[in-house]
Amino acid sequence: MLTRQISISAPIFLLIFIIQESVITQFRLPGGGFSLLTIFALTWAVLSQTEAAAVIGFSAGFLMDLSQSSSGPFGQWTLIMLLAGYAISYVGYGDDNVHGNAIGTVFFVVIASFFVELAYLISGVLLGVPMPTFGRIVITLIGMTLWALLISPILLPLFTYLHKLIINSRSIL
Amino acid sequence: MRNGGDGRARLLLVILIVTSLFLITLDLRGVKVLGGLTQGTQTVLSPFQRAGNTVLTPVKNFFSDVTSLGRTRSQIQNLKNENAQLKLDLLSRKNADGELEQLKKILDLAGTAGYKVVNARVISQGSSQSFSQTITIDLGTNAGIKRNMTVLSEFGIAGVVKDVYPTSALIQLASDPGFRIGGRIAGTQQIGILSGRGTQNASLQLLDNSTSIVEGDVLLARGSIFNRPFVPGVPIGYVTGADNSAGAVAQTATVRYYTNFSTLAVVAVVVSGPTSNPGDALVPQKPRPTPVPTVTIFVTPSPTPSN
Repeated sequence: MLTRQISISAPIFLLIFIIQESVITQFRLPGGGFSLLTIFALTWAVLSQTEAAAVIGFSAGFLMDLSQSSSGPFGQWTLIMLLAGYAISYVGYGDDNVHGNAIGTVFFVVIASFFVELAYLISGVLLGVPMPTFGRIVITLIGMTLWALLISPILLPLFTYLHKLIINSRSIL
Repeated sequence: MRNGGDGRARLLLVILIVTSLFLITLDLRGVKVLGGLTQGTQTVLSPFQRAGNTVLTPVKNFFSDVTSLGRTRSQIQNLKNENAQLKLDLLSRKNADGELEQLKKILDLAGTAGYKVVNARVISQGSSQSFSQTITIDLGTNAGIKRNMTVLSEFGIAGVVKDVYPTSALIQLASDPGFRIGGRIAGTQQIGILSGRGTQNASLQLLDNSTSIVEGDVLLARGSIFNRPFVPGVPIGYVTGADNSAGAVAQTATVRYYTNFSTLAVVAVVVSGPTSNPGDALVPQKPRPTPVPTVTIFVTPSPTPSN
């Protein structure tokens, strides 16, 4: 079941990754912009069970590490996204306020994207990754959270539809 | 919240965490276990990035115009009078002209110093999600570009080649927090180390505090052994603030880069350095004030006072 879900999800993740790298990165958006892959992976994790969420987080993080704009050591995003995916699914599991309510899902994704960025920052400091000024960090953190707040509600219906399609694909097929 | 977790999920989580930590450890120890995969990914992505750049350039220009609405109100008012086709042509022309202008200035800069350069177009602006400042250019190893080569903009230093792939290369911008370059003050020849801050300004730490630096002093690249990663004489920026306090062990200063990193469209990679050090030849000339003509009026009183 898990293997089937992952094999069907993989092309979607690759497509999102290509869109992120070839389209989103063309724009130097204010406040650091947003990561479509992060938002997608976190939304997917919220809607999935913990096992699947961990694998999703791992896969998304692995792709983010492959991105040329990743400044940290290879595996840093993998670890953070893995933990974020597992944690977000673990906390939201069985909570109807999250699964049955679009606002709850968006709230979860936005908060998670903030903490993901914060975790990357803190782990980056521990691993010796060069950091910008404090002001720049604050602007990026706030900017990315606001972007996630703006983008998540717009894309949530599409992501939810895709998730339902894949999870229920056995009955559809 | 989930009440506990089954053994299989926990085992999977532990395996994935260990794998991640293994990857981090290998990378920090310098084992490029996934170097080929990263290169392959970039090779696959660069045609997409190139296509994205071509398709999205008019859109980017549109947003650029919108963001500068307040400053170019009169210009936009004039543009409103033109028809849609002319607007589109103008946007395309504007982009080409801007790139041509940048290219011309880069070639002037490189020609004055005797650098052999390869011109490249910026095809992607790196995401700042990782708190790094990078761009991707459309040339790579096939065009003779190698790691640790100096990258120039029309005004001076733009960055350094961080990673190179067959048809593209990743440039670490000079504004990146991890960027370091040895510099010298034009004229006094004081040397120091400049560090990026993630903004248009950078921190300069001088190695000697025997003389003082003043605002407006120009900072040039000191150059590296065999001209890599930095060729000598490239203008970096000018001092906007200096801490000349007597008790300080070393002087520090704030330097503003000449290059505007948010408008980079064309850059040049120095593939071969100069045969001799260009010295201060590339120091940008200060703008000369336009002389205001003085009008002198001679009044000659009439011999007989008129009534």
